[in-house]
Amino acid sequence: MPRTAPPETAELVERLRDPAECRRAFSEVIRDYSEPLYWQIRRMVQNHEDANDILQNTFMKAWQNLENFRGDAKLSTWLYKIAINESVTFLAKERKRLNISLDDQESALIHTIEADEHVDGDKLAAQLRKAVASLPEKQRIVFNMKYYDDMKYEQMSEILGTSVGALKASYHLAVKKIEQFINNSN
Amino acid sequence: MKPDKINILEAAQHRDGMTVPDGYFNDFVSRMESMLPQTEFELSAEGKKKLIADATPTRWQRVRPYVYMAAMFAGAWCMLKMFSLLSPTTGGISFDNDPMVAEAISNDQFIDEYFLDDYNEYDLYDDMAEDSTSMSDVFLTAEN
Repeated sequence: MPRTAPPETAELVERLRDPAECRRAFSEVIRDYSEPLYWQIRRMVQNHEDANDILQNTFMKAWQNLENFRGDAKLSTWLYKIAINESVTFLAKERKRLNISLDDQESALIHTIEADEHVDGDKLAAQLRKAVASLPEKQRIVFNMKYYDDMKYEQMSEILGTSVGALKASYHLAVKKIEQFINNSN
Repeated sequence: MKPDKINILEAAQHRDGMTVPDGYFNDFVSRMESMLPQTEFELSAEGKKKLIADATPTRWQRVRPYVYMAAMFAGAWCMLKMFSLLSPTTGGISFDNDPMVAEAISNDQFIDEYFLDDYNEYDLYDDMAEDSTSMSDVFLTAEN
């Protein structure tokens, strides 16, 4: 299954809005979007088990709010929004549970990366992951979408509700911070 | 330092180094499908189907729109007829047109009995005095 979402069809969206067809159509949505959404979530939370739980919550929330999906926005935009909100909510709950600050959470995420069993051994990729985990949350999201998903700024803007200019600035800052992190670790 | 930046992002080639357990995504799809509860949105389709199946229209329901339309036209006709009857230019009760009315008016007894019944006698005497009519003429005429 591809890591990026397939092009959505108007026919699928129509079937999602039809109560008689929505279940069959939603099964197709799960099949098409589970992988791209999983990787988006996993890059935020780093841990596979947590990412799995959040992915389930994302689809459950989408299923339960299907009648609110009017088709004005793209299906992918709607799903990504839910996934990112679920990820951010999860991280906030973890901070509260562990009673740690945002800075401490960045360190905790780096520790999670180091302990991660589900890796392919690519050291360079692992180093980049740690650098990304050290970024502030918003910059991390923007960097992940741009660098790993090659998402267009316009689509990012729809998902995150931020202007294209601000997103470009955010990505630029993220790259600089990654460079600094790599230099410091070297 | 630019060479490091270019190296790390270019060298990583957009890889994140993360993996998933074998068959994870295939299992996920089937697991997720079985977890989806029945929602009110989905149930609304089944409810609609049942309503459509149960609701066979009665004879009255089929005829009702035509009855309402007929009542509407009848009401409009009645209103137009009423307005035309009240209109002064369309005849009505006219002394010139109705021979019966004309005959009645020409009959003095009819006038006395039906038109002047409520007339006040004092007013009558005043009027007669103005017209220089003598009382004796009136009484003589009545006796005669």
